[in-house]
Amino acid sequence: MLSNYIKIAWKVLLRHPFYTFITLFGITLTLTVLMVVTSFVDHLFGAHYPENKRGRSLYIANIVQTDSANTTMSSGPASFDFLTKYAKSIKSAERVAIMSNFSFSNAYTNGKRIKLNTKYTDVDFWSVTDFEFLEGKPYDETNIRNADHVAVITDALREQYFGNDAETVVGKTIDIENINYRVIGVVKGSPPTRVYTYSDVYFPYTAPKSNYENKGIRGRFAAIVLTKSPADLPEVQAEFDSYVARIPRSEYSDNNHFNVLIVKADTYFDHFLNTFARNDKDRITLYVIVGLVFLMIMGLPAVNLVNVNVSRILERASEIGVRKAFGAPSKALLWQFIIENVFITFIGGAFALILTLVVIHFINSSGWIAYADLTINLPVFLVSVLVCLVFGLLSGVLPAFRMSKLKIAEALKV
Amino acid sequence: MLRHLFKLIWNKKGTHSLLIIEVWAAFMVLFGVLTLIVFNLRNYLQPIGFQYEQVWNLELSSNQDTTELAPKLQRALQRVRAYPEVITASRMSSNTPFSANQIGNSVTYNKVNVGGDFYYTDTELAKVLDLPLKKGRWYAESDLAGKFIPIVINQAMEDKLFQNESGLNKVIKRDDKTMYKVVGIVDRFKAKGQFMSDTPGLFQILEKNDRWNSNILIKTKPGTDAHFEARLVKDIAMLLPGWGVEVGYLKDSRKNRENLTLVPVLIFLIVSGFLLTNVALGLFGVLNLNIAKRKGEIGLRRAMGATESKVTGQFLGEIWVLATFSLIIGLIFAVQFPLMNVFDLDKEIYIIAILAAVAVIYIIVTICAWFPSKQAATIHPAVALHEE
Repeated sequence: MLSNYIKIAWKVLLRHPFYTFITLFGITLTLTVLMVVTSFVDHLFGAHYPENKRGRSLYIANIVQTDSANTTMSSGPASFDFLTKYAKSIKSAERVAIMSNFSFSNAYTNGKRIKLNTKYTDVDFWSVTDFEFLEGKPYDETNIRNADHVAVITDALREQYFGNDAETVVGKTIDIENINYRVIGVVKGSPPTRVYTYSDVYFPYTAPKSNYENKGIRGRFAAIVLTKSPADLPEVQAEFDSYVARIPRSEYSDNNHFNVLIVKADTYFDHFLNTFARNDKDRITLYVIVGLVFLMIMGLPAVNLVNVNVSRILERASEIGVRKAFGAPSKALLWQFIIENVFITFIGGAFALILTLVVIHFINSSGWIAYADLTINLPVFLVSVLVCLVFGLLSGVLPAFRMSKLKIAEALKV
Repeated sequence: MLRHLFKLIWNKKGTHSLLIIEVWAAFMVLFGVLTLIVFNLRNYLQPIGFQYEQVWNLELSSNQDTTELAPKLQRALQRVRAYPEVITASRMSSNTPFSANQIGNSVTYNKVNVGGDFYYTDTELAKVLDLPLKKGRWYAESDLAGKFIPIVINQAMEDKLFQNESGLNKVIKRDDKTMYKVVGIVDRFKAKGQFMSDTPGLFQILEKNDRWNSNILIKTKPGTDAHFEARLVKDIAMLLPGWGVEVGYLKDSRKNRENLTLVPVLIFLIVSGFLLTNVALGLFGVLNLNIAKRKGEIGLRRAMGATESKVTGQFLGEIWVLATFSLIIGLIFAVQFPLMNVFDLDKEIYIIAILAAVAVIYIIVTICAWFPSKQAATIHPAVALHEE
């Protein structure tokens, strides 16, 4: 039965190339947009190199100081001191890494300027993340203790600073702001969209200019708390919350300016959401806006398809009439048209998949995002298939309903 | 004629409701995108008001050094000015042109309170950025001796704060302790780049012993390259051991800054462009089918002596009435934006966007209806009636 329906759908497609084109154009474009968006969202929030363990990581990156009436507010990253005291000490966590947010610097070689992003990290940073070392190794506790001037650089910087033909650069020095650092390792770089791990140069936090000595709770550092398993996340969060609750007011009140301190260990997605929407009301607004945009992107082409399909009812009228006259129930016809629609949507989906691959390849190679690694992986693909189905049903149900309701006499007359 | 068209459409409101929804949705999308474009385009058309091509931004950070910051910064500035490659240099607060930093505050004059960007700089900034003064002069060291702190404001600030009066030499209040005297007025200072709207701004003189504001803007001679830059960074790093030294070109940061606006607009434009193409194609298909179905009617009208253009006119009229229906629904939604002052945008922006969206919708439906109706109108009455 199914194969019959699909055969009919195929013949219908071939009958009017122009209308087929309109239909497929709409489906393909809509699905391409959605697939590229899904892929990009996955790139932003999924677990990818070098944060492969994102699924069981919590991020502590923002401290909010405010008062109970919400009149004044100050927010920003934490200090090294704060994170050592309250994050490093989380007992239920597997490991806790502290790193600075990236800052900017320049290096000069042969009259050429290289723009750099620098980051100061502790040793645990290298076990919490999964950086691939092309050469050398990360710095260890001894380097930290001795405040060695050592650095881990990315492959892109190696090429820019030392040139293509350098065989090995471990042990060579790199001059950044008039301080010579010994290169101790080279890693494969990561895209700048992963702000907590992205950098060109990584220094141990005891290297000059990291300002880890600063007192107070605010500074320029963030922490990634790695739990033993995703199931442990709530437990670790609770433990951190209990530490935060015990912080004396004098530490954050800033001369009685503030009496509320908000610091959360959030999963990456929640953390990202919290930077845009601090309270539930903002969050709902955000969801509504995103929902509306998606409804528009999907709804408009769907209405368009419904429109085209409904207008083409009469083309199929004689077929419907004959089938009805021979006793096919409305339900069977309904299913036939829905299946036809889903089938067409999947053809469009296949085109969209190809188009998405092209677009993603273009984005990855355009250098728009360095080290971009957008992919269509299994979750993205499954979401896309689901989207296809929803879209097919969305655009198929109403026309199918209309067609199945056609009266026999009327249908046969045409 | 119009009433007749309305009746024709009303009689088939069931089949037309989908078309109306589609045109309405297209209008809403267009309205949103056009608002974004009009807003940015209006800003883009206003010049930024200063020169940045040859200007570098030297960012110093004292890190763990806490002693004698002010004299050290003064020494660094002297050193920078001494280079033959440097035309002039000026200290500035961290909200340098095209940076992500912002310093906001508000001032009061005659009970009018205006918020704006505050820039803390020294006496050289106007020369470094070629910022022409409209009225008055840039502040000088000698102004510091006066009772009030000398400031320079921009035109937008003058308009808002002093309404129709001239702001020159007026004394304004920031808080109970701080009073300002306006010594000069510049035209525009769009520090965040071409896409920033021309908002009120204010320049305040840096005190001699200031130690917080550690950015130095350097205007270099044309042709100065990275060799000098490397030397500069090296010299300053030697002069200020332990300090962070970073050089950026304003023209680079401008590009970054403007891309932050341009890239989202471009993405929206591409996506909505595809959406509209989609709608146009669909509309074309539907109208093609609908009009083809009415051959008998066309034949009858032609036989009764209607000309080709009259028949075409009827179909166009129908689609216009239909589009007007959807646009009225769309307008009910769209006018809420200027009325309720959503997003704090200028009313004019919404109105231009609405008008443009209406125009585009009419153009799209006209094109989509034109070809099918033209084709249908050429049918010979005899052929059309014969089919029936």
